[in-house]
Amino acid sequence: MSQIMSAELTKRLEDFVIKEAKLADEGEYQAWEDLWADDGVYWVPLKEGDDPTQQVSHLYDNRTRLATRIRQLKTGYRYSQMPISGMRRVISNYEFFAEADGRYRVEANFFLPEYSIQSIHDFRLWSGRYIYTLSPRDDGFQIHIKKVLLVNGSEPIPSLAFLI
Amino acid sequence: MPAKIDYHHLIQEDKIHGSLYTDEAIYEDELEKLFYSSWVYIGHESEIKKRGDYVTRDIGRSSVIMVRNKDESVKVMVNRCQHRGNMLCNESQGNKRNFTCPYHGWVFGLNGDLLDVSYPGGFDKPLEELNLEVLVTDSYRGFVFACFKKPTISFDDYLGHGKALIDRACNMSPNGKIDLKGGWIRQHFDANWKMLPENDTDGYHVNYVHQSFVMAIDSQYGDFVGAEDSIKGVIKNWGNGHTEIDFAPGYKKMLDWLGSTPEKVKSYVDSMTKTYGKEKADQMLYDGPPHACIFPNLFLAEMNIVIFQPTGVNSAVQWSTPMFLEGAPELDFKLLRQSEGALGPAAFLLADDATIAERAQKALSAGTPWCDLSRGLNRETEDSDGVKTSHMTDETSNRGFWHHYRALMMGELS
Repeated sequence: MSQIMSAELTKRLEDFVIKEAKLADEGEYQAWEDLWADDGVYWVPLKEGDDPTQQVSHLYDNRTRLATRIRQLKTGYRYSQMPISGMRRVISNYEFFAEADGRYRVEANFFLPEYSIQSIHDFRLWSGRYIYTLSPRDDGFQIHIKKVLLVNGSEPIPSLAFLI
Repeated sequence: MPAKIDYHHLIQEDKIHGSLYTDEAIYEDELEKLFYSSWVYIGHESEIKKRGDYVTRDIGRSSVIMVRNKDESVKVMVNRCQHRGNMLCNESQGNKRNFTCPYHGWVFGLNGDLLDVSYPGGFDKPLEELNLEVLVTDSYRGFVFACFKKPTISFDDYLGHGKALIDRACNMSPNGKIDLKGGWIRQHFDANWKMLPENDTDGYHVNYVHQSFVMAIDSQYGDFVGAEDSIKGVIKNWGNGHTEIDFAPGYKKMLDWLGSTPEKVKSYVDSMTKTYGKEKADQMLYDGPPHACIFPNLFLAEMNIVIFQPTGVNSAVQWSTPMFLEGAPELDFKLLRQSEGALGPAAFLLADDATIAERAQKALSAGTPWCDLSRGLNRETEDSDGVKTSHMTDETSNRGFWHHYRALMMGELS
């Protein structure tokens, strides 16, 4: 729980989340992919409580598919992110939890303004909760799970080709 | 009274006019003639397995409830209380013994009958005068279709060769039954709804719109993007606006469509063989499921089911869910991941289709935007049943869509 983790550790975890968000915002695809552990799962369910073995998600990428996603974005022909959306996400209301096996869970709310410039030049607002499972790696941390709970994931949503 | 729209001018043999995608008056005309007066797809019976199970769907601007009744029959009714017009049911799915209006407490049975009016002392009309509006409903192999008005075309005539397409989808199950229990992804498009069925049976765009997919992923679709004479898939116009890309002639081996092999999904192959016999099962496992649109709003999307929902002249929603197979639950996980990979806002394919459709919507909004529709007129063939077939990249499918659309909009079918 937060209270038994040092301020220094929670600051380092928060810094890592901020770095990950910045790489996603700026389309630094390779640097973003390098943050992931070999068992990484990048997951956007439709709603809280969904079981990915029974129910469809917006995306449920294992490490292989995540690499494919990045490879596709880097081809230069991924029209839904050409050019890349203007994004500057804000993350707040952090909670930090110590998990088994030396892992950490970080939960936070996010607010993501996206200027979608691929077709209709639409200013879109995304919001929800990030739930990360992280573990220490030599240079900081690595991501085992990033679960993104959208506030409107069960409703019709536009293109989610960017890294959320 | 607005001038009657001349669809024969807007939709010709070899071209269509862009206002068909952008004109508000045409959109209103479509809602009236295609969605409120003709057969439309509502949902699948596997979504409402138990008595009282229901889902709500939007057909044009009208919300409807599809519900399993106490006698197991399926009713589709307008989601609106007959008292003061309130929406009866705000949830997208659930189970109810009856529907109680939240405004004044009127109670309707699962069959739409008005059962009870609160404080009856001040109300002396016969209850049966205010039953819910029930749609004309019919179904084929669990696919439920409905019509708001008395249909001018029988269900059998409407579905036509669509029955065989639905058969091919359902028969991918060793039990002959599909199960839509995986949940629905809904993707918003800032484009006219007709771009969805058109694009979904357009075999011409794959090498362009999906170039990034082909470059990033080794999939079965890689066999359909080579030189023109190397593409063996075919395009079909089945009549009644139903269209298909038939990939089967292009598959190189059994289960290509699943991205798998008989060794990897042995139990499924065994179940299929047991049901259909080896020769027939082998052929079905080679050919795979259909990739076909049933006019106007259903898409049998290989191992997915898709619904097109118009939400305005410039917007639409595409619903998608994996097509689980009864008798082969071992495929569920793979089908979930394949569905996410192909369909939905984050998918490797549909996200790019949406962007291209939205650019077309913008480009077609002004001037005199005629769109060419002639591709394949020089080489398509027609069989004795009127079914037209051509090279996979030809516009035989879209001509089939548009010429049926024209006939319905002009009231030429009866």
